[in-house]
Amino acid sequence: MATLSIKDVRKSYGSVQVLHGVDIELEDGGFLVLLGPSGCGKSTLLNMIAGLDDTSGGDILIGGRSVVDLAPKDRNIAMVFQSYALYPTMSVARNIGFGLEMRGVDADKRKGAVEDAARLLQISHLLDRRPANLSGGQRQRVAMGRAIVRDPELFLFDEPLSNLDAKLRVEMRTEIKRLHERLGTSIVYVTHDQIEAMTLGTKVAVMKGGYIQQLADPRTVYERPANMFVASFIGSPAMNFLPGQLVREAGGVRFEASGVSIAMPARKPAEISERPVILGMRPEELKVAARDQASVTGVIDVVEPTGPETMVTVQVGDRSVIARVPPRFAGQRNETIFFTVDPASINLFDPDTEQRIDI
Amino acid sequence: MIESKRHRRMIANIATYVVLVSLSVFCIGPMVWMFLTSLKYEADIVTQTMQYMPSRITFDNYVAIWTQSGFPLLIGNSLVVTLLTVTICVVTGTLAAYAFSRFAFRGRDRLMLGYLVVRMFPAVMVIIPLYVVMRGVGLVDSRFGLALAYTSFLLPLFVWMLKGFFDSAPRELENAARIDGSTRLGAMVRIVVPLARNGLVASSVFIAIAAWNEFLFALMLTTGQGSRTWPVGLQLMVGEFQLPWGVLAAGGILSIIPVIVLFAIVQRTMVQGLTAGAVKG
Repeated sequence: MATLSIKDVRKSYGSVQVLHGVDIELEDGGFLVLLGPSGCGKSTLLNMIAGLDDTSGGDILIGGRSVVDLAPKDRNIAMVFQSYALYPTMSVARNIGFGLEMRGVDADKRKGAVEDAARLLQISHLLDRRPANLSGGQRQRVAMGRAIVRDPELFLFDEPLSNLDAKLRVEMRTEIKRLHERLGTSIVYVTHDQIEAMTLGTKVAVMKGGYIQQLADPRTVYERPANMFVASFIGSPAMNFLPGQLVREAGGVRFEASGVSIAMPARKPAEISERPVILGMRPEELKVAARDQASVTGVIDVVEPTGPETMVTVQVGDRSVIARVPPRFAGQRNETIFFTVDPASINLFDPDTEQRIDI
Repeated sequence: MIESKRHRRMIANIATYVVLVSLSVFCIGPMVWMFLTSLKYEADIVTQTMQYMPSRITFDNYVAIWTQSGFPLLIGNSLVVTLLTVTICVVTGTLAAYAFSRFAFRGRDRLMLGYLVVRMFPAVMVIIPLYVVMRGVGLVDSRFGLALAYTSFLLPLFVWMLKGFFDSAPRELENAARIDGSTRLGAMVRIVVPLARNGLVASSVFIAIAAWNEFLFALMLTTGQGSRTWPVGLQLMVGEFQLPWGVLAAGGILSIIPVIVLFAIVQRTMVQGLTAGAVKG
């Protein structure tokens, strides 16, 4: 177990800079998720923590010890790869024990450690097989076994679930979370799947274009996104954006747009200038209401029941808005519909910088 | 309608087989002819009417070439030269191919291209400067010198072939090994080379056969019995007034036996390696 500090880490290939001064602190036993679209630099950052890629600047400390000049084998880390990277020529048992073998642990001790890890992951019956004879989920478990058997200071996961089918992915996600809670080892986890980020992380770093857009706990990232990119990247369906005008009124401010009028409390209404803003609200924050309570009014366009809930696409002014409503929603296309919105759940963004505005 | 379709398909099949059989006869015919000749008495080889099948069989030609000429020595020399060539190529070529496959360094692509360009020059062009260099360092008429000369044109080929196999071995595997405690070289030896084993065997057999059969360099760079290889030795048996056909044929047959044996041993691995390279490399 150890803390991880990433200090002003940069990376460039020739004249192309792919990481611009990244700073991250991860507490002992924490679970850091690096989240972003492909090409955002998250895997590069992970490879630099692992030592598979050199940094172009900055420092990385694992357990307070700078590791940038150490070879991967000397960093006391373990990594699970997207392709699992099991050694095809070796049995499962030897795959799991390879790290111990390389470190000169004697055969008896190794056997015990491998069996313990296999028991923990329920793969004891597979130890004599070759990786080619395993299913995707089993390979994933072997790859995790190889990581945990060495009891490293830090686990690195590089999109470990992206090669699994949907059902198995959910199972393994739970498995990883259970493993983290049981072992308590710090983890850095790369993914482009926001559900994995939300469910697993104690800290989520949302990345884009080599910059960290927001580093916070999953709840904050979801509820109070730092900018419109984070807001739209996290959550499915994505956050609704409505351009409009902020106007002052007694006791606070009001957001006005075609079909929308929401009063919001503000700490210092006098300091807020009346200006164009973009309103962001999550689909589940739109609650169907009576006409006289409505703060959002629109016309139903599409109704999509998914089982546990129903998605309703509503035309509000000239914008399309998605609302997540209870499963037995009875509305029909072309009907007028009214919603209330909890003002506390609303996010405002600057239309030019796309950054969050706090009022 | 169906009748004519079947008819047409049969004609196409027959045509295919005619082409295949004639090509096979063209390729295998000389070897069969050589084998038959090696079993004939000298008097039955040059005759007024062509005698295809030997009327009497003798193994005298084999006895003669093995006991009355320096043929065992020639084969021995060829073996040594081939082994040396393969060893040099495998050791240096594997490291080079790995570096080309895994490291991005300045001039990498140009260097690889250079390797190809070297192959485009005819051997005759290279041979005189090579001879001068070899004489300068005292390696003319030595088996090691000949092996070095072979390396000069076989190594690029070996590196090119092997690089393809290394490219198709996933990088993540060695990354995993490096994190598990291997050095880069250790990861290469333990993980990548076993994966590219088929390719390594295929490439090695390829250059072994090329070195075994090579004639021109051997002719130019060897002058004495001590380092002469079998293709040159066999050629030198052709006298001005005399052509010992039977003995030459026996020598030819004997010298392809090692190649056949080698191929029989590694054939499965080699074919796997070659097809893998063809698809992924």
